[in-house]
Amino acid sequence: MNMSVASDSPVHSSSSDDLAGFLETELDSDSASSSESFPIDEAAEEDDAEVSNHRLKRRKLEHIETVDEDEIEDVASVKFSQEVSEASSSKLPCEHPGTFGNMCIVCGQTVEEEETGVSFTYIHKGIKFNQDEVTRMRDIDMKMLQSQRKLCLVLDLDHTLLNSTVLRDLKPEEEYLKSLTHSLQDVSGGDLFMLEFMYMMTKLRPFVHSFLKEASKMFVMYIYTMGDRPYARQMAKLLDPKGEYFGERIISRDDGTVRHQKSLDVVLGQEKAVLILDDTENAWPSHKDNLIVIERYHFFASSCKQFDHRFQSLSQLKSDESEPDGALATVLKVLRQTHSLFFEDGGEDLSSRDVRSLLKQVRKEILKGCKVVFSRVFPTKFQAEDHPLWRVAEGLGATCATEVDESVTHVVAMDVGTEKVRWAIREKKFVVHRGWIDAANYLWKKQPEENFGLEQLKKQGTDDKSDDVGLEK
Amino acid sequence: MQLHPRFFGQNLRENLVSKLIKDVEGTISGRHGFVLVVTGIESIGKGLIRDGTSFVTFPVKYRCVVFRPFKGEVLEAVVTTVMQHGFFAEAGPLQLFVSNHEMSDGMEYQAGEMPNYTSSDASVRIQKESEVLLKITTVSVVATEIVRTISITLFTMQLK
Repeated sequence: MNMSVASDSPVHSSSSDDLAGFLETELDSDSASSSESFPIDEAAEEDDAEVSNHRLKRRKLEHIETVDEDEIEDVASVKFSQEVSEASSSKLPCEHPGTFGNMCIVCGQTVEEEETGVSFTYIHKGIKFNQDEVTRMRDIDMKMLQSQRKLCLVLDLDHTLLNSTVLRDLKPEEEYLKSLTHSLQDVSGGDLFMLEFMYMMTKLRPFVHSFLKEASKMFVMYIYTMGDRPYARQMAKLLDPKGEYFGERIISRDDGTVRHQKSLDVVLGQEKAVLILDDTENAWPSHKDNLIVIERYHFFASSCKQFDHRFQSLSQLKSDESEPDGALATVLKVLRQTHSLFFEDGGEDLSSRDVRSLLKQVRKEILKGCKVVFSRVFPTKFQAEDHPLWRVAEGLGATCATEVDESVTHVVAMDVGTEKVRWAIREKKFVVHRGWIDAANYLWKKQPEENFGLEQLKKQGTDDKSDDVGLEK
Repeated sequence: MQLHPRFFGQNLRENLVSKLIKDVEGTISGRHGFVLVVTGIESIGKGLIRDGTSFVTFPVKYRCVVFRPFKGEVLEAVVTTVMQHGFFAEAGPLQLFVSNHEMSDGMEYQAGEMPNYTSSDASVRIQKESEVLLKITTVSVVATEIVRTISITLFTMQLK
C-alpha cells in the first residue's frame, strides 16, 4: 500500500496546505498517539472550507471514473481532507444516539455504560441505541411502511409456524417420519426436515409457505422466538431460504431484553402498526392488544406431552392440519382484513390509525348481535364481569348479561339441569357449552351452535383442557 | 500455565503446549491485542506446585502472532451489516463501525432488501460483502473481549 499519499495530494486551496501536512503526520504514526481526540485544524475558516470542498468534490468525481489503485488513494486523501474541514466547521454537540461497545457511533467518544439504551444484538453485537434514537428510527420506519402500504408483523416460531422435536423424544410410531424428510440442499417445497447436527427434526405448519408469501406483500416481517440464536437462524433458513421475508430481522431469546418475556422494544416499528402472531399469550405481557393468538401446532408427540395433553399428536395419527382451512389460513384472512382497514381511504390521516383498535374492531364482528347469558360457568363468588370468558365474549362482540330476558340469544352452560338452560330450551334459544366461545375466538368465526351442544360435552368427557382447543378431526 | 497432575508423564510437554494453545489463541490481551496463533515455544520453566492443590504452575515463554489495531492505521475490511447510521465491517477478529457522518457527502443510505450506501453518481456502492479500506480513528476495548473502532473511510470498492 502506497503510504506517501499526502505528498501526492492534489489539494490546492490555502487551508489544505495545513491539511496535507497533517495527513502526513497522521498516516505515518504507528503507535497509539497520546492525543485523545482528532487534531482538527481549528484555524480553517468556514468559507475556505466551503471553497476547498467544492474543488475537492469536483476532483473526487473525476477520479471515480477510473477505478485504479493509485488514483483511488488520491481520491481517498481528497475525501479525507474534505471530512476534516467539514468536521472543523460543524460545532453541534454530539447527542450520542447510540453506542457500539462503549463508543458513541457518531463522535467516537466513550459514553458511560449506565446510560439507558436498548441493545439491538440481532442487528449487530454490541450496538445500543438510546430511547430517543429508537423513537426516531421508528418514525422513519413508519413513513417507509406507509409509502409501501405495509404494516409490521412479528411471528413466533414454535407451535405457530412450525413444530420441532428433539430426535431423542421421537416415539416408535413416529419413526416412519425419518424416511419422509426433505433434503436440506434445496428446502423449497419441503415441510419436514431432519437436522441431525442439531439433534432435531422440524415440521413446518401446513400453508406456511403461502402464508409467508401473501403476508409479505402486506407486512414487513420479524421472527421472534424463545429459541436461541442458532436455532432461530436455522429455522429462518427453512422458512425463508432466500432471506426475502425476514432478512436480518430475526430476534431470538439471546436478543431479547427481558428473560422469558417478549417485547416490542427491540422491534423497529411503531406499536400502533405492529401485529403479533404467537401461540402463547403470556409471552407478551405488555402487548396483548397487538397479539393474535393462534392455535398451537402439535405435530410431534413430544409437543403434546410438553403441554400435558393426552390426545394423540398429528404424527401419531398420521394426519396433518388442513391446508386451506387451517389456523394459518384463518389468520391470514384476519391479517388481510386488518390491513385493508388500516389503509382504507377514509377521511382520516393514516398517522392516527392504530392497528390495535382495528384488530379489536375485526374481532367484534365475530359474535356481533349475540346476547349471551352464562349458567353455572363461573364460580358463584366470582364477579361475573371480571371472568376471562365474559371478557372474551365481549371482545368478540357479544353482549353479556347475568339474567335472562327476551333479547338473549345464547345460554352458555356446562350442565343441563339449570333454570337458565330449561328456560332456553323452552324459548328455543341456543344452548352451548363454553367451547363455542373459545372456538369463535380461535377460528375468528361464529361456529354452528349444533357442534357445541351440551350432549357433545358429555361425549368428550374430560379429555381436553377447557381452555385449550384441541385440533379436532 | 497451570496443569492438573493427570497430564503428567511422558506427554507432559505436549499437554502443556496444547493447553497453552487452547487457552491463549483467540483471546485478547489489552497490551498486545488479539492473539491469533502461537508460533513457537521459547522455554518452559520449572513447575511449582501450588499450595493446597495438586496443580502445578509452569512459566511458559512463547512466541505468537498478535494483531492490534492502532489509531491512524489503515486496514482492509469486509462489510457485514449496513444500517442508516453507518455500516459494520470486520478485519479478521476486529469489529469496525463506520458512521454515516464519517462518509463523504455524496454517499446516501439506500434502504431495502440489500441496504447499501451509494454515491451520488452511482459509481460507488457499499453493501454487505463489499471490501473497503478504512482508517481507524478510535479504538475501544470492551471487557477485553472485542476491540472495536470507528473509522473514516477511504474507499477502494470491489463489489461482489
